[in-house]
Amino acid sequence: MNTIQKKIFSLTSVIVLIMMGIWIALSMYISQTHDQYNAILQRYLVLNEVNEESQDLIMDLNNYLYDPTASNLRAIDERELKIQNMENEIWDLGHSENEFELLNYIHLMDSLMETVERTISLSNQEESEAAIHEFNDATRIATYISDTKTALVETELETYDVVYRGIIARSTALNRFGIWLILLLTATLVIFSYLLSRSITRPIIQLTEAANTLSQGDFNKVVTVHSNDEFNFLARTFNRMRLNINNLIQEIQEQAELEKELKDNKILLQESQFRSLQSQINPHFLFNTLNTISKKAYLEGSEQTSDMLVNVADLLRYNLKSLDRSVTLLEEVTILERYIAIQKARYTERLIFLEDIDSTLLHVQLPALTLQPIIENAIIYSVEPREEGGKILFSVKDAEPYVRIDIEDDGPGMSEEKADKLLKGLLVPKEGHSTGIGFINVVKRMQLFYETDNLIHIESTLGKGTKITLYIPKQRSLKANA
Amino acid sequence: MNKSLSILAVLILSVLSYLTYISAESVINSDWKEPLPLMSENQQYRLVLITQDVDTPFWNSVAKGASELAEQEGVMLENLGNYGKNEEAFLSNLELAIHSKVDGIIVQGLDKEKFKELTKIKAAFYGIPVITIAEDVPIEESLRRTYVGSNHFKAGKLIAEQLILDMGDSGEVAIMYDQEPQHYQSLRLNGIQAVFRKHPNISVIDVRTDTSKEKVMATTQNLLNNHPEIEGFVAINSEVTSGMIQEISRRKQIDPLFIYSFDDHADIEGLFQQGKLDAIVAQDPEMMGRLGVELLIEWLEGKSAPLDFDGYFTPITIVKVKDEL
Repeated sequence: MNTIQKKIFSLTSVIVLIMMGIWIALSMYISQTHDQYNAILQRYLVLNEVNEESQDLIMDLNNYLYDPTASNLRAIDERELKIQNMENEIWDLGHSENEFELLNYIHLMDSLMETVERTISLSNQEESEAAIHEFNDATRIATYISDTKTALVETELETYDVVYRGIIARSTALNRFGIWLILLLTATLVIFSYLLSRSITRPIIQLTEAANTLSQGDFNKVVTVHSNDEFNFLARTFNRMRLNINNLIQEIQEQAELEKELKDNKILLQESQFRSLQSQINPHFLFNTLNTISKKAYLEGSEQTSDMLVNVADLLRYNLKSLDRSVTLLEEVTILERYIAIQKARYTERLIFLEDIDSTLLHVQLPALTLQPIIENAIIYSVEPREEGGKILFSVKDAEPYVRIDIEDDGPGMSEEKADKLLKGLLVPKEGHSTGIGFINVVKRMQLFYETDNLIHIESTLGKGTKITLYIPKQRSLKANA
Repeated sequence: MNKSLSILAVLILSVLSYLTYISAESVINSDWKEPLPLMSENQQYRLVLITQDVDTPFWNSVAKGASELAEQEGVMLENLGNYGKNEEAFLSNLELAIHSKVDGIIVQGLDKEKFKELTKIKAAFYGIPVITIAEDVPIEESLRRTYVGSNHFKAGKLIAEQLILDMGDSGEVAIMYDQEPQHYQSLRLNGIQAVFRKHPNISVIDVRTDTSKEKVMATTQNLLNNHPEIEGFVAINSEVTSGMIQEISRRKQIDPLFIYSFDDHADIEGLFQQGKLDAIVAQDPEMMGRLGVELLIEWLEGKSAPLDFDGYFTPITIVKVKDEL
């Protein structure tokens, strides 16, 4: 894994290496140029030195001629030895371009020395005129040496002209190279430092953005960081944290929902129990009283009244049983019939109740007191307010996998909006239910019992009537069974 | 935005790299090659060709022939010369060559005391063989090994014969040469006179002149004043030809006159092209150069010693204007 430290370190070491390379190359180049300069200078110096020595030799000879002492002679000998030694150096300066002049130069020196020797020996032999003649020759030879030196230097200049110009051109080229190199290095450095800094700051910005998003409560956005260093690790950790938080939140939400449902259930149950408790005031007394009245009516020959009282008592008993039990459809239909019998006694001809029941379907389970509140609604809204009364149709039919129960009246009906509100429990119906259980209670209990919505449908047309359809699943879900 | 930035960065980088590379290349590359070092073991002969008048067609040809052969034979040949017949510089070149102990000297002969002293005493003292070229100095006076060049006596004869052929064998002919004729001039003169002696009807007028142009013109003017009937002119020293012709053309028509000279001066070719000269003696300078170097090498290698003291003559021809055209 590439660490930030490694990145910075490698950038620095590359820079240092490049600088070192340039420094080494430059110093090598400069020392090479120096050597070249020195070699060239040396050539001129040697050439010139020989020339000077030969001029000095003439001077020494002149001194000797005027003053022939041993010390002057020794000076000449020393000078000649020096020149002879230098001849070897001159040899080394030779190349194909200056060969002729160089050989001339060497031979001229030989000639000079020979002439000097001759002058000395002539002078020793007291032949002064001949000696002076030789001396003049020597002087001329020295002049030739001087001329040849000039010619040699010229040849050198010509031969090395290219070199000198090359050196000048190279130094300007070197300057130019230096400028370009500095520009190149600067550009490279700027670009690489930019890349490096961006490789550090970009993940930070991305992380910052991600943190911002998280802090604003959006836990769904994946944190992406394009990096291969520590930031990648950081981003992954960040991501994991985000996922964890997300999971936790989801769990909390689910739990809250569950709790709410539970609470709803409890409230519903409490309400039912409260109502049943309300109506449970002295039930045994009521039953006993009702039974006594019934027997008395029977004994007094009012069979009808007696039946009615029995019905009322049954209804009451059924009603007082706990609501959170399931009953068969048969039980429901039986108690419904009792209730209708009571209502018939009340509304006589005004209530027409028609039923169409498929008796094979009566075994299905459903919450207690599901049908009675709906029928009661129908009576309250469609029969009671109308003088001419109303008609209620009750049918139980097979609609695989459901048992379909239709309760239809020919009352004033209601708007679709109102029906919707009714289903959602937004419409609080007016009081007056005999059992104290309203339509909404039925809806909710159905939902809890089957853990499914949409089991109750309201179909209503204003002025024509209302049809409420219940779909009772033949099989309760496993969960509900458990 | 980002993309264009990176493209720009890459562009800048590549341009800079390219420029850096180019300048680095120019720093590293230097096309100079060290001249070959001297081989002291393998010493070639060092010969010099010393002339008085460099950069004239004649002497350029001599030098060309000589250096061609020198290159072919693998000997070193240096051409020492000066401009405009500077005798002092010429002689000091000769002395320098002698003191430099060259292996052989090919020199244009100069019929002067100092020249003779140098060749006779100095060169002999150092044992350096001297060959005269184009112009000779007699062997008794110069101790030269041999002479390479035209046979000037024969050249004189050729010119005289041509003159007679053109002009007929009667008339006045002026022969112009130096106040102190050089050896080669004397030979040419002798050649001419040898021919004219057989034609008594031709009267020969000897004219001696200095070589400076004013003097030549003055002399010519004098000549034309004294001998208005003169028909033929021979310039033995080709150097005087142009001055002579210039003066003649001021006085007379050039065409009917018969004017002759030799080809060893820079002015001659131009005058000849213009048709002012009737004929010239053409020498073979390139051959002279070649032969000079060849003989010197042979002598140094001891192949053909002794050399022919009389000299080795290179071919000469007479060239007429008509031939050229």
